[in-house]
Amino acid sequence: MSINEDSLPIKRRTLLKAVGFTTAAGALLRPFNALGLMRSPVTTNALRPPGAVSEKLFPSKCIRCGRCVEVCPYKCIKPLDIHQGIFAGTPVIHVVDVPCYLCMKCVEVCPTGTLIPIAQEETKMGLAVIDKHACKSWNEELALCRTCYNVCPFKDKAIKLDALRPVVMEKYCTGCGLCVHGCPVTQKNGKKAINVEPIYAFGTSRGMTENE
Amino acid sequence: MNKKAQKYTPFRLITLTLAFLLILVTPFLNSHFRINFIQGWFQSLSIGHLWFVSPLEGLESILTSREIYGPLLVGMLIPVLLAITLGRVFCSWICPISFLSEVTDRVIKLFSRKKFRSSGLGITKKTLWFALMGEIVLALILGAPIFVFLSPPGLVGREIMMFTLFGTFALEGIIIIIVLLMHIFSKRLFCRNFCPLGGLLALLGIKRRLVVEPDLEACLECGICQKSCPLTLDPQKGESLSPYCWNCGSCIESCKASALKFSWKDI
Repeated sequence: MSINEDSLPIKRRTLLKAVGFTTAAGALLRPFNALGLMRSPVTTNALRPPGAVSEKLFPSKCIRCGRCVEVCPYKCIKPLDIHQGIFAGTPVIHVVDVPCYLCMKCVEVCPTGTLIPIAQEETKMGLAVIDKHACKSWNEELALCRTCYNVCPFKDKAIKLDALRPVVMEKYCTGCGLCVHGCPVTQKNGKKAINVEPIYAFGTSRGMTENE
Repeated sequence: MNKKAQKYTPFRLITLTLAFLLILVTPFLNSHFRINFIQGWFQSLSIGHLWFVSPLEGLESILTSREIYGPLLVGMLIPVLLAITLGRVFCSWICPISFLSEVTDRVIKLFSRKKFRSSGLGITKKTLWFALMGEIVLALILGAPIFVFLSPPGLVGREIMMFTLFGTFALEGIIIIIVLLMHIFSKRLFCRNFCPLGGLLALLGIKRRLVVEPDLEACLECGICQKSCPLTLDPQKGESLSPYCWNCGSCIESCKASALKFSWKDI
């Protein structure tokens, strides 16, 4: 059976070419994916600086000028290197090493709008989550550790005490990681008994909560 | 009349050195003395409230994120205007890779007297445009600006910052060494043929005001100007008027007949 080429909406050759190009592009990108070169470095306790755009936009918007790194007085913002693939050069805060003290200097210097100037209390780098199996206050009757409560910059708002056990209030938690840094418990997998989860980083919002 | 030719190289070397000192000292002032008046390097530099953003980095950020941010455009304004009026002067008068290349040249001169490197390699200068286009297309495919973390001029600044703040170098700094080895092999091979930033600045400077104009009446056709040109352009054939020329003034200095001079082109 013969088909009249002209009657087809797309010529066979064009279609084959398009398929070929897509496959080639996919094949080219596959090793990138396999090596994790396109995977976001943002995970538990590895967060973007305050006011960061969504992680989908971050690698394309950030020009890796390093000014947020340079301005940070606590050296908590660190630039990633080439191991992180397309995320190389982007800033990350490892809150276990050095947490963010919310001085808000980095958001002022970003020239690309990757970090948007926001107020201290509006920051949503992530949400602190207490691991109730690991936290001593939640497990051991006599443990009176409330380090996370003591170090929290929004004490009694972001972390409250419920019968002497810490509870995180989602509305006020900025995800700065001071509690993670202070937590005396280190689990076998390197996590603390309280960890900051970057739950806002992959949404569409600018890292702010929905209830604002 | 054999008037002594105007000297530009000393001024250029001073500018290059000052520009390099700027990115050398700035991270130190920022991290040790908390002086944030001058910040960043040639990807984005701020002096007080005056912000500069490298045009290529800014363009890629806008293209890949498909979002326009006002301050970014304002920051790109001065570098773009500079390139439009004066051409690729960033490359020859400011770029830290230029500084390192000049230093490499002088170090080599100390150890050997004979010229050993091939100059032209016969690669067409048009590769500069392909580098620019390839770079932008690749950035759009990957959804991330590639040049921003692989650009040698930016990398120099980042490596200095990394060393000052954290005492380590980032792995991609190897690229700087590769670029300098390319320079040792063939004069300014990377700048001449492969630098996307140079490509963009050349593109902006196509109709630039400042050009090196040859005086064909006075020209002796000795060819010294071509030998002195770091980009292996031939000013006596009018190649100094092409977009590739970066107005360093080497050819003007080398010309025995004073047949070359900077001139301000009216539009």
